[in-house]
Amino acid sequence: MYDLFFKKFRERIDLSPEEEIQIKSYLIPKKIRRRQYLLQEGDICKHIAFVEKGALREYSIEGGTEHIILFALEGWTVADLFSFLTGEPAVYTIDALEDSELVLISKSSHEELLQTQPKYETYMRLLITDAYIALQKRLTSSISLPIEERYKNFVETYPDIVQRVPQHMIASYMGLSPETLSRVRKKMLNQK
Amino acid sequence: MKTKQTIAVIGATGNMGSAISRALSNANYRLLLFAKDQAKLQTLVEEIRKSNVVADIESVDCSVNASWEADIILLAVPYQAEKEIAEKIREVANQKVVVSISNPLNTSFNGMVTEPDTSAAEELQKQLPHSKVVKAFNTTFAADFSTPVIDGKQVDSFIAGNHEEALQTASELVVAAGFYPILAGDLSVSRTLENMALLLIQETIKSNYDWLAGWKVLHH
Repeated sequence: MYDLFFKKFRERIDLSPEEEIQIKSYLIPKKIRRRQYLLQEGDICKHIAFVEKGALREYSIEGGTEHIILFALEGWTVADLFSFLTGEPAVYTIDALEDSELVLISKSSHEELLQTQPKYETYMRLLITDAYIALQKRLTSSISLPIEERYKNFVETYPDIVQRVPQHMIASYMGLSPETLSRVRKKMLNQK
Repeated sequence: MKTKQTIAVIGATGNMGSAISRALSNANYRLLLFAKDQAKLQTLVEEIRKSNVVADIESVDCSVNASWEADIILLAVPYQAEKEIAEKIREVANQKVVVSISNPLNTSFNGMVTEPDTSAAEELQKQLPHSKVVKAFNTTFAADFSTPVIDGKQVDSFIAGNHEEALQTASELVVAAGFYPILAGDLSVSRTLENMALLLIQETIKSNYDWLAGWKVLHH
């Protein structure tokens, strides 16, 4: 139920069995089915979600069009961080692409753990640092690299996502129309 | 809130379980119903779907899976069965709101099987130390759910619990079911609430209210 959560945790910081029990007491095990919402835009994001199994996506909706900002597969963490931290309405929607198993952490549990468990605080800092770096990379790539390069990088970095997520969603994530992405893929195939 | 919360109703085919399920199926919740008698459960689900085609409702054949998928777990079982269920779902109920509706009455309806210094809800909380147990719906009869306004007055539904968020959640459930919510206090107030149910049951039998009766605090 929490195997991957603690495996990922231990990859960064060692935990004693007592510390694991303490942290575990704050976690919410939650199953969610394909197409079900974890969060809808306009609601307040009340949880950070860690993906034990399955896949989710986070996106904004502008004029009826979905713009995907994140895919979260096993081992990833997903939330509308702005809404979670400020208590303001979420601008993103999160739903499940596959039947999934999550580990949720509520705002009050998160705050209590930050106060009482230094290792949790360290782990959270590392997660947020990682997310910031990933965001910078993505920003740089999307403003400075040609489309082919961007897609190639994406496929190399996230082969699992390419396998499991429909192409039109990857196009949305890259800010391309499905037609453009399809053209790019064809071109790359021909070059091989 | 737009995002639907999922409620697992454990013991959904009982008097109270089916009344609560019917009432909440009209609100913005996703319901996962569990009961031991799967045939009876299927019939209930079909009945609810017939009366409300947009009801987001499903039967589940395992109480643990239903609770794992849920945000809120509603134990619509008698006090005697509550312990057994709680044991099963303890792990998947971690940090979740667990609603206790039971009244620990003895078989002659003239007293409680619990000691005076505790209540069914507090016993459940001891069993599920990391869940957010709330007492709710124990002072309302099953028939009240289809008639939440009796003699021109909306029936009050009393809630007790120790967690702010859980009280809020329970209060929303009470409103969705058509009752007026009264936040009575922390979980130890369940002792009073369970005794209020005892008194109401005794009065109902004595005065022949046909199980349609409720508590109402009158005030100016």
